[in-house]
Amino acid sequence: MSGTSIVKATVDALRVAARNFVKPERITIYYPYEKLDYGRMRGWIGLWTEKCTSCMLCARICPTNAIKMYLAPNNKRYPGIDYGRCIMCHFCIDICPTDALYPTDIKELTWYDYREMVYTPDMEREPPKVQEPYKSVKVVIKYINGVPKKVVQSK
Amino acid sequence: MDLWGLLFSARLWFFVLMLVASGIVLLTVVWFERKAAARVQMRVGPYHVSPWLGGYLQLLADAFKFIISEPIVPRGAHKLLFTWGPPLFVTLAFGASLLLPLTPELRLIKDPNLLPYGLVFSLVVLLLVSIAIVIIGWSVNNKFAYVGAAREALLVAAYELPLVLSVLAMFILYGTLDPLKIVEKQSILVGAMLNPFAFLVYLVATAMATARFPFEIADYEGDVATGPYSDYGGVFLVLSFAGGTYYATFSYSFLASLLFLGGWNLPGFAVGGWPQDILGHLVLAAWVMFKTLVLMFFFAFLRAAMPVLRLDHTLALGWRGLLILGVAAVLWSTALKLAGL
Amino acid sequence: MEEYGIVLKEERLEGGRRVLDIFWGPQHPSSGHTRFIVEVDGDIVVNVTPDPGYVHRTMEKLGETRHWIQNIPLFERLSLPDAINVTWAYAMAIERLAGLDVSPRAQYLRVIMGELSRISTHLYDLGLHAIMIGSSTGFMWAYGLRELLVQLWAMVSGSRTTPTWVLPGGVRTAPPDAFYEQTLGFLQYLEKKIDEFVRVVIKNPVGYYRLKDVGYLSKEDAARLMATGPGARGSGIDWDARRVYRYGIYDEFEWDVCVEDGGDSLARAMVRICEIMQSARIIRQALDRAPRDGPLVGESVAHRIPPKQREKVNELVRLQALFTMMLPQGEGTGITEGGRGRYYFHVFGDGSEKPYRVRISTPSWQNLRAMIKAFIGARLMDLPAIYGSFGYFPPEQDR
Repeated sequence: MSGTSIVKATVDALRVAARNFVKPERITIYYPYEKLDYGRMRGWIGLWTEKCTSCMLCARICPTNAIKMYLAPNNKRYPGIDYGRCIMCHFCIDICPTDALYPTDIKELTWYDYREMVYTPDMEREPPKVQEPYKSVKVVIKYINGVPKKVVQSK
Repeated sequence: MDLWGLLFSARLWFFVLMLVASGIVLLTVVWFERKAAARVQMRVGPYHVSPWLGGYLQLLADAFKFIISEPIVPRGAHKLLFTWGPPLFVTLAFGASLLLPLTPELRLIKDPNLLPYGLVFSLVVLLLVSIAIVIIGWSVNNKFAYVGAAREALLVAAYELPLVLSVLAMFILYGTLDPLKIVEKQSILVGAMLNPFAFLVYLVATAMATARFPFEIADYEGDVATGPYSDYGGVFLVLSFAGGTYYATFSYSFLASLLFLGGWNLPGFAVGGWPQDILGHLVLAAWVMFKTLVLMFFFAFLRAAMPVLRLDHTLALGWRGLLILGVAAVLWSTALKLAGL
Repeated sequence: MEEYGIVLKEERLEGGRRVLDIFWGPQHPSSGHTRFIVEVDGDIVVNVTPDPGYVHRTMEKLGETRHWIQNIPLFERLSLPDAINVTWAYAMAIERLAGLDVSPRAQYLRVIMGELSRISTHLYDLGLHAIMIGSSTGFMWAYGLRELLVQLWAMVSGSRTTPTWVLPGGVRTAPPDAFYEQTLGFLQYLEKKIDEFVRVVIKNPVGYYRLKDVGYLSKEDAARLMATGPGARGSGIDWDARRVYRYGIYDEFEWDVCVEDGGDSLARAMVRICEIMQSARIIRQALDRAPRDGPLVGESVAHRIPPKQREKVNELVRLQALFTMMLPQGEGTGITEGGRGRYYFHVFGDGSEKPYRVRISTPSWQNLRAMIKAFIGARLMDLPAIYGSFGYFPPEQDR
């Protein structure tokens, strides 16, 4: 690169940085005050035991062996998911022939002890209560004039 | 030795003002560096500590976290140099700015005939700062710190000569090394406009000396894992990495604001003696600190825009490009002086 | 008087050479999860010994112990930025082995998501390359763009970084209608931001001189050492698996293979930038032509799905059809061009549902010898620049 083109390229780089400084294009989401609305998210997996036929296909297809079958008093076996191993790929939901396993989009789960992560079938009926200590708004990112902007969804 | 005379002594006020002002300038510059880099880079920067101030007090929270961490001395390190290196570093870096006057009366050197020696001596102390970095790199007993200290030693040889040449060029232009007379000679045409070559050389040499991007070579994170500072943690890191390099930049910028940016010249403002006109002197001190701040903002903004230059390219730049520019600055000053300015 | 340990000991080799050996190990800001033992003479690198294996997860052996459909999430984790192209290669191997066909709609969707995956890998590699050179601005811009892309993936498949979306025979879910418009907006912003990236990082004289003539790999060396991906195309070798093997429907689109002649890090970085632009071109053409309705899997898989769930095969594929299929005895290979190079999967079936052997060849493992050749003779400060320009990814190298 010749002398003048070096000077021009340096000035150009500084100019691009200065323009971004003056007009920042931020897409930061101030979690937990704002939460992004994805639309479809593979989250916590629930179970309706009345639909389950104990075929055990979910336990057989799980890639991480997270599903164990528990013996119920009516001599049927129902699946319980160990969320320490689950990777939320939803293979078990896609293979269940009776739609007994249902998907949710809850991903904000925490436990104090690893033993609490193992869910038995009766714990799988209702989705767990997620703590919401802050009032959060849902946002989405829309492209306005070719630049992404954070837009609050008024729902 | 009466109490009032002691309380209103110019040197005490100068020292306290320099401590406070340099602390505020450092806080603002670090905040600006993080915030400006964040705005350029599509993110927010410091936010949660004081959201109503834009995250200004984040540096205090970070410094507090560092100070209460456990300082660890590695097993094979040279204990004396390891623990005394960072305080030496930051003392030298800050001490260089104490030898310069803040306003015509607020200065540490009482005898006005000794002020030129103060200017030259501050440059010498700033050279010793680089030696402190080499000491730090040696004492850590780590291959990466060793490589980083060697790089710093090579860089000193590259930037020191152009720096001295640029100060020499300004000396030829003004005809004196007394800071008071230098500031008096700069009216609307500040030193940077009289001799732009010297200003450019000074800027690039300062960036090399204080590890500002694009010359963050001795403590380069990608290669030598922050070189000499790699095994420092806790209060040592605050003193050396965060404190020392920024204090060195502060000293260099303070010197530049006296030599190149007009010092305390405020058009239409005449200041009386000390201690009759305390308020006037404080206004002038704030004006000088403001100029220093603006210059440091420029150095801080470079972090967002520039990658890091390689070692041999930097040495070539120092020994070839900057040296030629420095000699050109000296010739320009000589030509201006001969033309009767 | 204290004795210092490692710093003062230098290796004295034959011929009077004195080198300092530096462990560029896993605990280093710019070495990834692998170790290189670098021998430095002054500032010049004399010899580099790689020490891989820190992230070995025995994926090939694990592939033999489980049902072949459980291997899809496993092999996706070979290289997560490039998730679609890796699982596409495995799905292609199973399709050739079991004789499955792919529906047209799935072909278009695979191309769209595959090119998005290629853009994601290139952004990841360019971002790491930028911060290894020292420019944190390039790093943040590349990953900021990647954040927008990952949200597009979440819209289609339900997960940001692990889509698990490609099945042998087709794909798993269909994108919603909002996806098409969001992708066009994303592509417009991407092109604008990549142009700014080039101006701030690569055309910037500081970055330009950091990359020019660094890590030179001549065309003969690249061919002899079997470099792949941008490592080979930056040295003038015109080979792209999409053009050579003609998988999918890449023949129906108009696009160019990006080749540069420089052989140095600058050429490899420019190959990546050019490929991002070409991927955007392909995605625009595919978005126009992709059918909005139709089955997501081919006939040979669809006719095994029970009739009650076959109505939803345009939106969501149930997996019973694939779970009850055994692999016939034979072998099948799948080759795709990922962002970093070509992925090669060779699956041997033996009549049961577990594969007999899965052989994987990843681009980072293949580029290792070429990268070592590029390291030698460079300066110590060039190592991050060369490492980033090859797009080296240790989890993919160690499998």
